[in-house]
Amino acid sequence: MGSYLLKRLFASLLTAVLASILVFLLVRMVPGDVVAQMMGQAGGENAAGALREFFGLDQPIYMQYLTWITNVLQGNLGNSWTRGLPVTDMIGPAFLVTLEIAILTLAVATLVGVPLGILAGIYENRPLDTAIQTFNILGLAAPVFWVGLMLLVGVSAVIGWSPPLRFVPITRSLSDNLSILILPIASLGLLQAAAYSQFVRQNVVSALNQEYVRTAIAKGVPIRVVFFKHILRNVLIPIITFMGLILIQILGGTVIIESLFALPGLGRLLLTAIETRDYPVLQGALLIVVVSAMVVNLVVDLTYRLIDPRVRVA
Amino acid sequence: MAHDDCSRGPRGAACKRTRERKGSIMTFMNVSSMRRFGQKLLGATMLSLLALSPSLADEMSLYGPAAENAVSGGRLNMGLLLEPPGFDPFHQAADARIRLSVLVYQGLFYEGANGQAIPLLAEGFEVSEDGLVYTIRLRQGVKFHTGGDMTAADVAYSYNYIRNPDNGSPGAGDFSMVSNVEVVDDSTVRFTLTNKNSSLPMTLGNKYGAVVPAGYFDDESAKNRINAESVGTGPFKLVEFVPNSHVALERNEDYWEAGVPYLDAIDFSILPNSASMLVALQNKRIDLVPLSRPQDVQQVSSVAGLNIERWPSLAQTAIDLGSELEQLSDVRVRQAISLAVDKNEILKASVGEYGTVLGTMVSGMQESWGLPLDQVPMQGPDIEKAKALMAEAGYADGFTMTLTTINGFDWMDPASVTLQEQLAQIGITLDIQRVDLGVWVNNFRSSQMGFTFNDWAAQPDPNLLFYRHFHKKPDGADFRNWNNDEASALLDEGRAEADPAKRRDIYNRFQTVLADTVPTIMLYSPDHVTVRSDKVQNFTQHPTGWYFGLARTFLAE
Repeated sequence: MGSYLLKRLFASLLTAVLASILVFLLVRMVPGDVVAQMMGQAGGENAAGALREFFGLDQPIYMQYLTWITNVLQGNLGNSWTRGLPVTDMIGPAFLVTLEIAILTLAVATLVGVPLGILAGIYENRPLDTAIQTFNILGLAAPVFWVGLMLLVGVSAVIGWSPPLRFVPITRSLSDNLSILILPIASLGLLQAAAYSQFVRQNVVSALNQEYVRTAIAKGVPIRVVFFKHILRNVLIPIITFMGLILIQILGGTVIIESLFALPGLGRLLLTAIETRDYPVLQGALLIVVVSAMVVNLVVDLTYRLIDPRVRVA
Repeated sequence: MAHDDCSRGPRGAACKRTRERKGSIMTFMNVSSMRRFGQKLLGATMLSLLALSPSLADEMSLYGPAAENAVSGGRLNMGLLLEPPGFDPFHQAADARIRLSVLVYQGLFYEGANGQAIPLLAEGFEVSEDGLVYTIRLRQGVKFHTGGDMTAADVAYSYNYIRNPDNGSPGAGDFSMVSNVEVVDDSTVRFTLTNKNSSLPMTLGNKYGAVVPAGYFDDESAKNRINAESVGTGPFKLVEFVPNSHVALERNEDYWEAGVPYLDAIDFSILPNSASMLVALQNKRIDLVPLSRPQDVQQVSSVAGLNIERWPSLAQTAIDLGSELEQLSDVRVRQAISLAVDKNEILKASVGEYGTVLGTMVSGMQESWGLPLDQVPMQGPDIEKAKALMAEAGYADGFTMTLTTINGFDWMDPASVTLQEQLAQIGITLDIQRVDLGVWVNNFRSSQMGFTFNDWAAQPDPNLLFYRHFHKKPDGADFRNWNNDEASALLDEGRAEADPAKRRDIYNRFQTVLADTVPTIMLYSPDHVTVRSDKVQNFTQHPTGWYFGLARTFLAE
């Protein structure tokens, strides 16, 4: 286990370094830079040159990278070029917003999607299955923007209420925090639940058709025992994989939902940083996304090893 | 013009206010000329062009009309669709920044709506006979948000900082004619110019730079800190600017003008989605919001308690014609395009009724500085004449060209399709190419803009509007490679001329050349459209689009 963990950590580190180089080069391949954005149609070339020098954009790219990565290794992601704030002060709160959205969405998706998927799988081709599949297909087909907007407009029309516009962290007030997040979480959670339910259903159906399950049922093992010991354990790995996918997807930013509900999350931070060519914020935020995806993957892999001995042998 | 019709709808109120402002400016001009006359009689060596007493300056209603029965207090919730990309008046040129920062930072003059620079942190000024030395008396009793008193040293420092290109300000170019700024005494500064420039007071306004404490930028980190701290003299202080969330301002208790501002605080909520903004408006989460898309305005037009108002604007949408393209280097082709364009049709397609078709001047300055619309040459649509010009230029069979439009500018999509149809009539096939703003700005700044839509604005002064964009290099930037000697000479003449009537005549001649040789086709000025709830009182929208008016706004109890 120890050596496995070491190997994984080393691989992750290598990936992170490669990702950081890629991110660094990619953001610089987008035409236009922060100086052009700040100057717009105004300003002369002298002033633009002075600003480029201030931001270090006059240096060769490898020097810019070395300066940046040296600072990153010391825990310093630099200052935002447009906001002046330390990048960590901007990414930190945004990441917490996104993390909360991700965890709550995952909770809703799991609590709704997994039971629905199991029920649909067990009652394959029965009316309940058809009803659940209808929900699944609608959820898979509906764009998140549309669902969010319909919820926002619908709730406003029916009860004359819309969420507050200024985000309040959960640490300051749970009720205020939830009143802001209820609609976005409902939109994301229901859509993810539909995908989750469809995925779990397929796994349950295939587990039910496995010979050992049929044998167990034929042998007269109580259905409850068959379900928990044979079916659930077998669908647990795909369920955890899917959890990881949902987390990674939402941690990467849910810019549409964040824009719709005025949430100051990582997605909007990334989008604004791209628009203003704010490289330090962009690089820092992308690095956080990459690292958190790697952490989630690592946790998922380690969980496999805990619940399935075969993975350990492999 | 539509905005002169004061009898219709909510626009009426705006028109009335505009007229009131014009009235006060007339009074000011008369007083000013009387003083000049008096000084000549006294044989003074210094010529005073604009010597205002503070009381008269107050009557000029800085920031908007004074409110009768104003109530003090309250927190205004204003919605913003576009987030300011920073709060730095020295290094950030974006209009979304200026709109808000004018409430926190102040220059020496205020951009009077009709083209007059009104003393703000200045109290008055005198110009030497040769027009090269401006001696500016400063307002007394002004305190910085940091607590210190504003002195001449702070003013000289701030303007010396911005005019030095090594400090990286986009405004540096506007100050290139200033050779020196020095302290005369604690309450007087002297600006020395290399060339006569009648726009100097307007240049010392609120677009770029502001008066900040002397030595503020000595610490390199100040370039970062200025986005998060409040070091100006304005009616509001910056309290908090949380990215992607909100900007919070609070009343400056030490503000030099007694009794204002009325509001205790302003919260700007940044909500980038207009559908969500409309829901927030309906549920009273937002009290005031500027909207730019007509379909959004229409959605709230019937909501009780909301008032839609339209205001004239100094912004313009335009087609720019870069002469670096072979076809566009022929003036006859440019003229043909101008004649084929139906500006009314483009206006209707882009913003419906919420705009004013232009000749050669933005709508907010048409009356004060615009060439009368019936005198503007090469205005279409006149397809026959356009076709004849195309044939004369050797393009009887037409040609294919790329029209560049910019992501995120809603009006450009319908406008590009409309223009495509219009130019097809004279054989020009347009390939529409949408680019990111960063790409577009790069092309623009390197004078490789080609054939493109543009969306820009300037302060209410013809020199500041035209000089940089249209004067030959190196004095101007001549982004469109127009390279027109006659126009450049007129721009130099207009900048140096102090007499308003002569100046107007010069700019009329310039606009005639501009329309006749077509480096640009000004399409329309989009109205500033604001939606406010009933409780928001005495709000006016300045034609620049900047939110000066919030310093005079109050909330009804």
